[in-house]
Amino acid sequence: MHCLICFRDITEATTWQNLWTVKEKNICDDCESKFEKVKGSTLCEKCMKPVSEEVNLCGDCYEWQERFQQDPLIQNVSIFTYNDYMKDVMACFKYRGDYELVHVFKEAIKDTFSEHFKHSFQLVPIPLSDERLSERGFNQAEALAQLIDLPIYNVLKRTHSEKQSKKSKLERLTSKNPFRANHPISGDVLIIDDIYTTGTTLRQAAQTLIDHGATTVSSLTLIRS
Amino acid sequence: MDANQFSGKLLLKHEWNLDDELFELWLQKKWIQEVPGIVRKFGVTMCQRCFNTEKKYFGLMPGDITYCRKCVAMGRLSEREPLYRWSGPENELEPIPNSCAWEGKLTPLQEEAAHAIVRTIQTKKRLLISAVCGAGKTEMLYKGIEYAAEHGLRLCIATPRQDVVRELAPRLRRDFPSLTSAALYGDSTERDHGAHLVIATTHQMLRYQNAFDVIIVDEVDAFPFHKDRSLPKAVNRALKPKHALIYLTATPRFNLKLQTALKLIPTVSIPMRYHEHPLPVPTFKRVHQLEKQLQAYELPKLILDWIEERKGRRFLLFTPTIELAQTLSQSLSIPYVHSESPDRKELVMKFRTHQLNALITTTILERGVTFPSIDVAVLLADHHVFDEAALVQIAGRVGRSADDPTGDITFFYEQKTNAMVAARQYTRIKNKEAQRKR
Repeated sequence: MHCLICFRDITEATTWQNLWTVKEKNICDDCESKFEKVKGSTLCEKCMKPVSEEVNLCGDCYEWQERFQQDPLIQNVSIFTYNDYMKDVMACFKYRGDYELVHVFKEAIKDTFSEHFKHSFQLVPIPLSDERLSERGFNQAEALAQLIDLPIYNVLKRTHSEKQSKKSKLERLTSKNPFRANHPISGDVLIIDDIYTTGTTLRQAAQTLIDHGATTVSSLTLIRS
Repeated sequence: MDANQFSGKLLLKHEWNLDDELFELWLQKKWIQEVPGIVRKFGVTMCQRCFNTEKKYFGLMPGDITYCRKCVAMGRLSEREPLYRWSGPENELEPIPNSCAWEGKLTPLQEEAAHAIVRTIQTKKRLLISAVCGAGKTEMLYKGIEYAAEHGLRLCIATPRQDVVRELAPRLRRDFPSLTSAALYGDSTERDHGAHLVIATTHQMLRYQNAFDVIIVDEVDAFPFHKDRSLPKAVNRALKPKHALIYLTATPRFNLKLQTALKLIPTVSIPMRYHEHPLPVPTFKRVHQLEKQLQAYELPKLILDWIEERKGRRFLLFTPTIELAQTLSQSLSIPYVHSESPDRKELVMKFRTHQLNALITTTILERGVTFPSIDVAVLLADHHVFDEAALVQIAGRVGRSADDPTGDITFFYEQKTNAMVAARQYTRIKNKEAQRKR
């Protein structure tokens, strides 16, 4: 095997533990150690943003609660922080289109899913607009969702708009909902996306899903920026 | 739009930067032709841009589409995303006589090399210039560049190192103000619109086909050119069928040395620096358990003494690994640079402009950079990253300027290696050769 990121050979020590567990490593320890998991004693209950000790919710989530009385999103779970290394890896994965890199996150996504969610959840990846999809060749959120061995429901559609990453925070919070649903859905839904920045995209998607019959909507995102 | 500015290019669709209508039109006119991106032949898969055939560098996209991961940083090339090559009218360059504005004088040895270069360009042959560090390689090229410009030949100076491109481009632009030029490397924003003079990293050659009359490969022996088999192939593809190919280096590797010995490639050897002073010969200093001490943040007395002896002279410390550079930087409180350090450019600039008196570096500063009046020490010179070429190049950083042609180069080591001895031998042989030429 070789590392998916640096292409160096991975040689694992043969130990009794290695012998019994069927875990195939596709990233070397060096590269793996550069990713940083989201952690801390005080995280926002909802979106996992680090907050000071006195409050349970971060400013953004509090604002959402105030504005809409009921937040469409119950909970977001993120795995990694958006450190410089992650930025490089995501640039390569998303913008240069190196699809294979998705397998780097397989273990992390699977483990996090089984830790926080049940198998009854229906997975809905955040879609790309058709233009962006043809440009990129794949949808990174769907690629991540496929790492979990559950059926995927592509019920959302997205109308083309300016790249999120090029907008200011205010523009993002007040932008029009770009999502439509082309199928009704029911039960508990889990939205999958690559990155949680302000939570606007996820909440817009969540609102659309609730309007089309979802009971609850949570989200699993690879990165909390 | 001037169509022949695209002559010689081999690009992905979006890299052409044409609107869809024009692109379609040119495709129909056969000015642009599609080249499949990934080709399978006799059970071997090959990337048509970077010549990669290694299985581990191929990836799969949804729909079982194979793409090349080795050159993905230049934009993804897959079975569905082909390359397009220019097959329309060829670029006719406007001949520009007397383009060289440099008024310096060449030494007799430089003169000899310059003549050999012009002759090689005239006869469209190959040439190796093996010139010691500080021989003034860039100036030797000037007559050749002038000749190419005068005859409307497209010339490219390709080098494996970005830093070299960044250092070379402004110099050449200053000395050839009337020529159009483009400096191309990983994150440069410049584009080549059929320039007379292209200064590029060897990786950029992957974007050309049948484009240049002359390619000069500077520092042929540097990483990654000598290790990566695809880059020499890319250079050959970027050349026109009738071409001149010139290699420049201080430390030719085995392959080129062999070709010279067998008279397969004409070679000009320049053993003397432009200021005609001898190369500094490295001093060897053995330190017991050097690696252990350095890792434990202890500094051996010999090294501290060496630093003490500098007395205000500026110096560079070379270390084999980034980790060691880091520990050393902490215990000496001297900043360090390595290939991935974010402030690499700024630190090197500060050292150059005398805002810093000392700098710790990995091998990234081993070649292509010139700092006047410095001393150099190599720590753990017996480490395997320091091969003969690296050590010769590092020693070549010392005594570069005519005002201060001497300096100290010291190797600190635990166990003497062949590379160290060979590097010292090299300087001695070259100095003897130089004496004979004087």
